[in-house]
Amino acid sequence: MIGKTQRFEPFAEAPVRVIDEAGQWIAPFAYNLDDDFVRGMYRDLVRARRLDERLSTLQRQGKVSFVASAAGHEGAQVGMARAIEPGRDWLYPYYRDLPLALAVGWPLAEAIAQQMATRADPARGRQMPAHPGSAALNLFTVASPIASHVPPAVGTAIAQKLAGQGDVTLCTFGDGATSEGDWHAALNLAGAQGAPVVFFCENNGYAISVAFRHQSGSVDVATKAHAYGMPGYRVDGMDALACYFVTRQAVEAARDGLGPSLVEAFVYRYGAHSNADDDARYRPADEVAAWRRRDPIGRMRRFLEGRGLWDDAAEAALAAELKAELDAAVRAVEAAGPVPLGWMFDDVLASPSLQLRKQRAALAAQRDLEEPAR
Amino acid sequence: MAVQTIVQTVARTLAEEMARDERVVVLGEDVGKRGGVFLATEGLFDRFGPDRVIDTPLAEAAIIGAAVGMAVHGLRPVAEIQFADYVFPGFDQLVSQAAKLRYRSGGAFTAPMVVRLPAGGGVAGGHHHSQNPEAHFVHTPGLQVVYPSTPNDVKGLLKSAVRGDDPVVFMEPKRLYRAIKEEVPDDPDHLVPIGQAVVRRAGDDVVLVSYGASMSETLRAADALAEQGISAEVIDLRSLLPWDEDLVLERVARVGRVVVVSEAPRTGSFASEVAATIAEEALDLLEAPPVRVTGFDTPYPYAQDRAYLPGPDRILHAVQRVLDY
Repeated sequence: MIGKTQRFEPFAEAPVRVIDEAGQWIAPFAYNLDDDFVRGMYRDLVRARRLDERLSTLQRQGKVSFVASAAGHEGAQVGMARAIEPGRDWLYPYYRDLPLALAVGWPLAEAIAQQMATRADPARGRQMPAHPGSAALNLFTVASPIASHVPPAVGTAIAQKLAGQGDVTLCTFGDGATSEGDWHAALNLAGAQGAPVVFFCENNGYAISVAFRHQSGSVDVATKAHAYGMPGYRVDGMDALACYFVTRQAVEAARDGLGPSLVEAFVYRYGAHSNADDDARYRPADEVAAWRRRDPIGRMRRFLEGRGLWDDAAEAALAAELKAELDAAVRAVEAAGPVPLGWMFDDVLASPSLQLRKQRAALAAQRDLEEPAR
Repeated sequence: MAVQTIVQTVARTLAEEMARDERVVVLGEDVGKRGGVFLATEGLFDRFGPDRVIDTPLAEAAIIGAAVGMAVHGLRPVAEIQFADYVFPGFDQLVSQAAKLRYRSGGAFTAPMVVRLPAGGGVAGGHHHSQNPEAHFVHTPGLQVVYPSTPNDVKGLLKSAVRGDDPVVFMEPKRLYRAIKEEVPDDPDHLVPIGQAVVRRAGDDVVLVSYGASMSETLRAADALAEQGISAEVIDLRSLLPWDEDLVLERVARVGRVVVVSEAPRTGSFASEVAATIAEEALDLLEAPPVRVTGFDTPYPYAQDRAYLPGPDRILHAVQRVLDY
């Protein structure tokens, strides 16, 4: 449990920070975490970055159609992941949350299979890449329309409140999502219902090319929490431990029946919005370079090394382990082969309609439904 | 057996389902103490309390979106949208979230939920209290769309919708809410399967196909035809997505003449889908082209409230056209 000295006041102007860029502990409370817990976070940060790099490679090879790089967001995502209980609590992520999905336990092979849409994909190749989901982990399958998952997240939180088990929902989104009507409707409902939900904004400053100052007249996102009757917190999103502590406080409040919170983490995406974007058109290179110097991975490594918990040998071993894991997962996913044409007709309704049965039969008369989809 | 109206049947059926299954919850604007602006949820708040009869903020996206999230977590939400005309702020939740959830997750997640839409004209409501937006939803794979016209079918289809495993757009003919009374079976498991049409009246000269509020005008037209010695078969589709095309094709093939009646605007309408399917599948067996009698391609008018509806006169005119062909 967080002691009284670790309580964070809502709406504090300065974002919460726990370790600085040099890896120094700067929190106003003592370090009290298990060393393996922190090393595990570091491993998840590095693992997410390696997956990100591998997906870009696969995209250039023509094996993945789309990549929304999460590099720069890992600290926020790995931090918040540690604040919930996967499989008990519910998670409503958005499309840039692969590090979060991995950190709550989504198997790497499933993650890669979703990107490559082979037969190994449990979602059967139904979606473009960057759309995680897992029933086993209560990880609500991502949908592309921005902020459309926020009202459902509140519905799940209301159901959790009715069930009375102290379970919570964590719902993430980018800064652009906070302009959507659904976002406001959802936070308003959550406030009115006292729903046990934590809204987590990964504010990277840009919705594709539109800078936050053009997104909103509000100084930031956390401020908006005032209007919905919930606490708002600002946190350094490049500081995984700060994101962990703040999210944990919000999660515990929700578990205790104190209702929703809004957390705003200031992060940065190092890459373009996606492989189809050219970020040089709308942001200066020195801004990117400045944020890269605040990198959550280097910061955490320096913290661990400063405490004698990490060294070059451990880093080399981790790199080798992760490369082997990635190589094996990609091989297995590719080997599963493309999904068949006929899968297109499944999972529309619990049982196919008369119309769909006729349409399927008509196509089957012209094409082999077992042939690979294209 | 109790003699009851459509709107009474909605409230009593919801009460039965809530008593049967504690996962069933009702949410929407004014559904609590007020019992809904049409009284379609009357008595539920007192009986089941605020946890299961939830007065929501005035935000359709929040209502339908929350229903999705409740359904995902194991509840069986029944959301009321006060008028079908106000569903559009929640349209994205139905189309992007509810309808595609099973598909996009490969069956991992489903959204068993009902969205009730009091629909249709003839209530002096103008274009924002009179529309029939079924075509928007029929064009959305992953939804089911029903539009019953009798208390019996309201009970049977609402139960099927609540008990089913997919999102259902449940349209209610609000013009008929209190216009029709009939005996409704007490059977708590009185189910009407989604996707089955019913023959309301047998006939040999022409088939009239309709659904929802327009069933009332269609049956009156059939009465008028009978007085003229013309025998009209009347089919009530009841379900639009999926719809019972086999029954329609079988009857139309036997009779050879068909008129499709719906009060929604004509272009891109569900009536057009029925007519196109008949033309495509049964052209050789037709004695005349399928003819549609529909609303007009205008926003629903206020001053011409009744004239807009395809009333018996317009239906009889269309029947004459297919008989004279």
